[in-house]
Amino acid sequence: MLGAHAIEVGPLGMLAINISLLVLVGWALLRAERGLPDGREWTLLVMLAIFGIFGRVLLEPLPNIQPVTVLVLLVGVHMGAKRSIALAAVIALGSNMLIGHGLWTLYQALGWSLVGCLGAFVAPRLNTLPRIAGTAALCGFLFGWVISLSILHTLGPSMLPAYIIAGLPYDLLHAMGNLFFAAWLASPLADIINRHQVVTLEASENVPVTA
Amino acid sequence: MFGIFSAENRLKALSAIWLVFFVISASAISHEWARMTSELVAEEGEPHYGLPDLWDGQQVVCIHFPDNSTHPDYSDGRHHIDYDGTDFMTDSDSNATGACVGGFSGYENGFDLMLDATNVTGGKLEVGYSVSEWGPYVQSIGGHEPTGDAYWALYHDGAMAMVGIGDLVVDEDSVIVWQVDTW
Repeated sequence: MLGAHAIEVGPLGMLAINISLLVLVGWALLRAERGLPDGREWTLLVMLAIFGIFGRVLLEPLPNIQPVTVLVLLVGVHMGAKRSIALAAVIALGSNMLIGHGLWTLYQALGWSLVGCLGAFVAPRLNTLPRIAGTAALCGFLFGWVISLSILHTLGPSMLPAYIIAGLPYDLLHAMGNLFFAAWLASPLADIINRHQVVTLEASENVPVTA
Repeated sequence: MFGIFSAENRLKALSAIWLVFFVISASAISHEWARMTSELVAEEGEPHYGLPDLWDGQQVVCIHFPDNSTHPDYSDGRHHIDYDGTDFMTDSDSNATGACVGGFSGYENGFDLMLDATNVTGGKLEVGYSVSEWGPYVQSIGGHEPTGDAYWALYHDGAMAMVGIGDLVVDEDSVIVWQVDTW
């Protein structure tokens, strides 16, 4: 009897399957999120981590295109640096447990953490979609440069500029992917995050104003 | 929430179009960029030094095995194997043990050259690799798979390659060397 294992799927077919699965995961998580009461910040973070891990693993056939950078940037913008660092580390380790864990995991976690911190730092200025999208694109290069530091384990600092220049096409792809994910995710994710920050906002509003 | 609704939709559409364009042309861009930046890495000495004169001006692939894990067929020095599989010389004074396969021409891609060069040894230098978003990643050569923080490192014309073997653009007289390094 012929099962699904007997069917050979080409690279484009696999990519289509992976994208369909990612859309399914995203849709299921969105439905689950809508069933949550307001203020479930950490539950939301877990959901974002799941989406980030699946997004990175399933989009692996596309070179350097994944939603993780935009997720940690947006979490940095809306939830602050600490939560974005937690998300960055969990996604880096979680996804690399599936696609390959090693020294590079540390640099990826560091790179995404810096993206989240940058988001938190410039959050007041990221109040329009073009600004968020532009920052996300720039973060593609920033992340690539941080990752490039890992070659210092094997090569001298003098080789670093050449290594970074050689990697620019991959950074450009990362930037284009970030632009895409920011354009499509920034608004809905901002609404979702704001809904789960109600408790925090109410707590802030209850703080007595001092002179 | 981000101002004019149509501007947001325009950005969504444009970002999708740009993404598709760059993904489709990624391979060509990467190839051309690797060609343009290949001169950034200075060649360390003469890469053909120590190789047979027969291969001057031709493409060569060398596999150097670690001292503690020599290849059973190439443990007595560095073997020199021509493009047709003829093992015509062994350099027992070489610092490394393993094999160099040379006499190739016309290759532009490092991975194509490597696969064809190792194939002429009849499986002795079989390459085990996986394919990821970064292209092919060489895991084992000739049955040797480094463990721990060791890995097969790629050198092109005497210097560590700045790109993976899948993106490596080779010249008419390129010498590719694989050896086990550690992080």
